[in-house]
Amino acid sequence: MSRTIRCTARVFLAAARRDFLITTRYADFVVGMLVWPILMPSLTVFAAKALAGPDGAGLSAFAERTGTTDYVGFVFAGMVLWMWLNMVLWSVGGELRAEQRRGTLESNWMTPAPRLAMLLGSGLNQMIVSVMPVFASLAVCSAAWGVRFAATPLVCLVFLVSTIAMFGMALAFASLVLFLKELNAAVFFLRGVFMVFCGLTSPLAVLPPWMRAVSRALPLTYSIDLVRRLSLAGASYADVSRDFWVLTAFAAGLMAAGCLAFLVVDRAVRRNGTLGQY
Amino acid sequence: MVNRFGADRFGGWLRRQFRVIGAIARKDLLIFLRYPANALMSVVEPIMWLAPAYFMGQGFSVDGRAIGFEGFAGTSDYFSFVMIGMFMSSYISTAFWGTGFSVQEDMTLGVLEPNWVTPASRVSLVIGRSVIMFLLTTLNSIGVLVVGAALFHVNLTGNVLAAVITMLPMLIALTGLGLGIAGMVLSVRRAGTAIDISNWVVTQLSGTTFPVSVLPRPLLAVALALPTTYGFDAVRSILLGTKTMLPVKVEIGIMLASTVGMCAAGYAVFKVFERRCRRQGLLGTH
Repeated sequence: MSRTIRCTARVFLAAARRDFLITTRYADFVVGMLVWPILMPSLTVFAAKALAGPDGAGLSAFAERTGTTDYVGFVFAGMVLWMWLNMVLWSVGGELRAEQRRGTLESNWMTPAPRLAMLLGSGLNQMIVSVMPVFASLAVCSAAWGVRFAATPLVCLVFLVSTIAMFGMALAFASLVLFLKELNAAVFFLRGVFMVFCGLTSPLAVLPPWMRAVSRALPLTYSIDLVRRLSLAGASYADVSRDFWVLTAFAAGLMAAGCLAFLVVDRAVRRNGTLGQY
Repeated sequence: MVNRFGADRFGGWLRRQFRVIGAIARKDLLIFLRYPANALMSVVEPIMWLAPAYFMGQGFSVDGRAIGFEGFAGTSDYFSFVMIGMFMSSYISTAFWGTGFSVQEDMTLGVLEPNWVTPASRVSLVIGRSVIMFLLTTLNSIGVLVVGAALFHVNLTGNVLAAVITMLPMLIALTGLGLGIAGMVLSVRRAGTAIDISNWVVTQLSGTTFPVSVLPRPLLAVALALPTTYGFDAVRSILLGTKTMLPVKVEIGIMLASTVGMCAAGYAVFKVFERRCRRQGLLGTH
């Protein structure tokens, strides 16, 4: 039993190390990963600044709907979390597909190493790599715009739970991509759904009722809302406890669904012999 | 006699260039039509990008009017402002991706070298691709405009024909830009990230989703150095009646001057890098 655990841990760490080496080998990828989360929210803030107006005439309408006049922090929190999800979908979600294209998936999966450990190890690297730009982006926001994000233990917990939810979703997505054999269109579509419904740059109050119902079924909506309320508006646990537990339930459900989807795909591609096809 | 001979030779040369441009355009059209899912996503994705802008505008609006925005732009119709910006920025993206980056795609597919060892002019090969990409972008952007207008509220009250004519110099200038980028991609190779970031910065600083007057001074200086900024500004003033940074005639003059400058610079850059790659035998490597 302990030997099995040791072997699984070795596979997990080997996969994480391999992916870290691949990630750091491509400088343009690293540059893109650091630049995008800074550039995209920063330039979106200018659109919000234009909407606020030279004399702040639009701010009262915004404050009425959001409860804050801090549109910079509001936009940054939404955009940064969405970009984080976007990166996770491309990296973790596209991992199996990338291996399939490189021609290493079949040979790796023919070894007796546990496949779920391989995927989780690779995902660990991607999660670490994708969290760094989030903090870089929030640091730039604080330095350039003077926005103060409160980093309380509860905010850190929200980040951790959001990470698990995103990871689970990306696992399920990776398995789906292995079937569909098309990554780009799948990522564009899924990230687009989150972009439209999760209130990235706007309060949910401006969405029509049917869109609000959809947004409540997406975990990113809760992550964004919790970060805004806890980090910017100074809300306490009692204010957000319901939403926090909804997000936690999403995280547990999505992680279980992701692992299950992976096991189903694993069995299906072995039976069909389509692992090497792309 | 000499003049006639010269005119015949020029006519023959011109016909050959049009044949090359037509053949490349036809080839790229066939490739585009072979992937219907991508064609569909090219309409769906911009709508997905437009939706947050629409709702953000609503977040700052009173009775559907962006009252704060009016102070900067001279119109309270934020979404129509963004819609025109998105329409025009799609041509910038085409110059970066459709024309410039396509050279890398050809390299990866291994068809660049066989195509370029034919006697066809390489500039015509790139321009042929530009022509079909700009046509497809126009059709695609009209589709986005129609769907966007149906889903959200878009109100274009100005003279559309005048706006299209005003836009033409910008499109020609962008062809020159695409040619220059294609040359650089030949030399740089893994240019995906650089193209992606440059494209986004240029489209945003041209004022796709906000009037450039909101930018801090250093960024405003960059925005004012981009000819596309004046194109966006002039077209919006014609279609929406927005405030312009300069008189429209001056903005059109800047665009015309930049058309000549960017085409000449794009051609020169392309030739320099193309010659270098041929000399070093780099065309077939990627």
